[in-house]
Amino acid sequence: MNWLFALYFVLNTAVAVALAPLLMGVVKKVKAWAQGRRGQPLLQPYYNLAKLLRKETVVSSNASWVTRATPYLSISVLIVATLSVPLLFLPGKTSAFGNVILFFYLLALANFFMALTGLDGGSTFGGMGSSREMSLSAILEPLVLLTFLTLAFVFKTFDIFGIVGTTSQAGIFSVDPVLILLGAAFFVIIVAETARLPVDNPETHLELTMVHEAMVLEHSGKHLALMETAHAIKQLLLMALFINIFLPFGFATQPTAASVALSLLSFLAKSIILAAAIGLFESSVAKLRLYRVPGFYAVGTFLVVLTIILEVFR
Amino acid sequence: MIATLAYLALGLLLLPALAPLLAFLKDGRAGRKAFLTAIGIAALLLTALAAYVLYTGTQLLLPLYDLAPGLGLTLLVDRLSAFFILIIAVVAFAVAIYSAGYVEHLKSPVRKNLLIALMSIFVLSMVLVISAKGMVGFLFSWELMSLASFLLVNFEYEKKGTRKAGLYYLAMTQLSTVFLIAATGVIYAQTGSFDLQRVAFSSPFWASLAFLFAFLGFGIKAGIVPFHKWLPYAHPAAPSNISALMSGLMIKVAIYGLVRFLLTVLPPGPVWWGILLLTAGTVSAILGVIYALKEHDLKRLLAYHSIENIGIIVMGLGLFEIFSAAGLHAVALLALGGALFHTLNHALFKSLLFLTSGSVLNATKTMNIERMGGLSARMPGTAALFLIGAVSISALPPFNGFVSELMLFEAFFQAYLLASPYLQMLLVIAFSVFALTSALAAACFVKAYGVVFLGVPRSKEAKEAKEAPRSMLAGPAVLAALCIVLGLFSFQLFAIAGFSFPVPDLLVVGLLLLAVYALTAFALRNVGKRRTCETWSCGYPSAGSVAEYTASGFSEPIIRIFDAIFLPKLTVEREYHDGQKALFKRGTAEMRLMRFFEEYLYDPVARAVEKAAAFVARLQDVDLDLYVAYIFVSALLLIIVARFLI
Repeated sequence: MNWLFALYFVLNTAVAVALAPLLMGVVKKVKAWAQGRRGQPLLQPYYNLAKLLRKETVVSSNASWVTRATPYLSISVLIVATLSVPLLFLPGKTSAFGNVILFFYLLALANFFMALTGLDGGSTFGGMGSSREMSLSAILEPLVLLTFLTLAFVFKTFDIFGIVGTTSQAGIFSVDPVLILLGAAFFVIIVAETARLPVDNPETHLELTMVHEAMVLEHSGKHLALMETAHAIKQLLLMALFINIFLPFGFATQPTAASVALSLLSFLAKSIILAAAIGLFESSVAKLRLYRVPGFYAVGTFLVVLTIILEVFR
Repeated sequence: MIATLAYLALGLLLLPALAPLLAFLKDGRAGRKAFLTAIGIAALLLTALAAYVLYTGTQLLLPLYDLAPGLGLTLLVDRLSAFFILIIAVVAFAVAIYSAGYVEHLKSPVRKNLLIALMSIFVLSMVLVISAKGMVGFLFSWELMSLASFLLVNFEYEKKGTRKAGLYYLAMTQLSTVFLIAATGVIYAQTGSFDLQRVAFSSPFWASLAFLFAFLGFGIKAGIVPFHKWLPYAHPAAPSNISALMSGLMIKVAIYGLVRFLLTVLPPGPVWWGILLLTAGTVSAILGVIYALKEHDLKRLLAYHSIENIGIIVMGLGLFEIFSAAGLHAVALLALGGALFHTLNHALFKSLLFLTSGSVLNATKTMNIERMGGLSARMPGTAALFLIGAVSISALPPFNGFVSELMLFEAFFQAYLLASPYLQMLLVIAFSVFALTSALAAACFVKAYGVVFLGVPRSKEAKEAKEAPRSMLAGPAVLAALCIVLGLFSFQLFAIAGFSFPVPDLLVVGLLLLAVYALTAFALRNVGKRRTCETWSCGYPSAGSVAEYTASGFSEPIIRIFDAIFLPKLTVEREYHDGQKALFKRGTAEMRLMRFFEEYLYDPVARAVEKAAAFVARLQDVDLDLYVAYIFVSALLLIIVARFLI
């Protein structure tokens, strides 16, 4: 562990944790505008978290230690996962981070325990949420990994640092035009993984539609604050992957103070634009019936398979 | 010195075969403890020996007994054998500890003694298979293993379904031996020797034939789809400690055979060997996990996951063959390493899961997970151990199952190195199925752990369940600790063994996780008040387990999504109070899932065999005159045939 990595550790984690709620707020604000409302203040997610930390934490009497441990586990897992996604600059070679499989399986670890807490309270809603979440995330998994398999065909590496290292040297889309197709597929992944319309509805607490919200229904107080922060960080990380692979301009190629500052500014601008795009996308589609969701994933899978065929037979 | 230790270990393993003699004692408890200790010590000795051979790379030659001149039972332990002996010894050690408590649950003392005796013979036979120098010793020990496990499957023969499972198992395991004898025949015809050494085949045809026979023989024993049907019958029928040995070890012995043939007996094969292995592995993996999802018998669910994991291992071997045939030896080695590491890992976490579910079975007297629930509060130790197994088998970091699946994923990621685009596409398809398999396994274990251990008890038995005795916690704890250690230290272990696989350093990841967890928990320890309260059930008085999500409900979305595989048939019967069908009186709904392989493969074959048997029976059931005629005709035929042969 050298100084550069220590700096990377601190900056990357700090930026991820600090910006994650803001991007949640941006999506909400854009959705409100699209619906003709003024919407909540941009910083409302921060106020919510502060409020939740002061509130009482109620735990079901049926719940085991899994419910008590999962919020802390989720936030730890997401913070460790943050290290695999360079937000501002690359820390050089590390033996532990940057592996695509490790990154997505860390997310799966958080998901696994979150689904367990859904069953822990012994309520109907929680179980329903876990069941739907595990089913949907299982059929999403091939799409996620196929996208990175295709990226491995393009970049000849499956290491996130390696991919970002290549893209950040190049200009916009100068690496390979097939990345446009992959970018569209990756957008499907972001929408699905962050529990947004048309896969899931983040605004509702209605048993017909909810998936993610049903799982965290039994959490309250600081536990809920931790779960929501973890969820926000997950969204930020996926968006950062999208930005750094498909829109890499502005990413610091050297870890100097000036370029890192520029990198931060460009990341901030790009992530806010992407969050706004997600908000607009959400406003333009309706919630799909649960059994129609695989069809939505199929759209993404189609794009990826098309790209693979282009790559394999070129 | 080393050889003496090895003989000592084998002798100690054979010693408990005397356990049935304990029936003459008034209370055999101490004697049983002693015999189980012997198994434990033998396992430790074997672990040390295997580690020694693995580390130094020396070969251990141990002559045992000559059946006839040239047909000797000789053991030869090289690094490959040592690796598998290590797996067997470690799991056998944990099972021996567990059995000390488990065996005492059985009713009659005769049964208790018998179980220990059969168990030791079973373990011994597996060690002998793996260290056999030639095919004669291999087949001899292989049959010993099959017979011992057949008796163990039938151990609770008075239970419904057990005898059917036993017969199913016997038929399939004998079929597997038939193919192995055929493979041996091909090899003997080519070399005139039974030794398991590199065979110089006169033509690629004979090599491929030997490969096919070996693949079928070992594939049946390992439970590769479509030869898997015996596995979910036989493994759950056996007592739980034996299920752990069967699912954890015995199917790995078949994997050993396959690896032995691929690495040291057969020459480097053409690419279609790899394609066959990869396809069979992929199909087994996905079907295994999909069938596991709909299963609500805990032990059978685990048995289906064995099919899945065997599929993953065979996929790895297929990748090894494909990349070897393409000359990409670094990737091939990565795939082989992943397959072998997954073999070790699966042995550990599957035995762990079977042992802990045995404790659950003892505590609740049922294997139906719909009648469990809330066991985490009642059996906290068992629950925590099961959870470690569940996280490991779901391939989640930083545990061991993750590392081996990661290695296979990484081998897939390098598909772009292959020359043929069609081969690349095959790998892409297998890769996406593998990704789906791995994610479905996680879904299945959320169901298994969530429904069994979390929430509210769904039956009286589950409510009154008691924690397992100490030895039944200590045995699985050994395996659980190994699951964690092999995950966290995988990077370091590979470095010590001299392999530079591109595996992330999970020790760093694990320590960071722990540090962030501790920091967050510490920082928030005094934030906000805490209260425990009943789960909100929309204002209704507490509904208990009725409001809880069931296992069937949990897997319903997946069954709906994959209905092309399950082909569920929904039959709904409704009765109404009136003619207009407006007022619903009562009704039943039933969902039946089609058992594809049984209905379309096994049953037709079984019917054909029965028909043939009926025909043969007609020949047999006659009077003496006709028998004399049979003998006359046979003698005549022999003379005619002999004339052409000489």
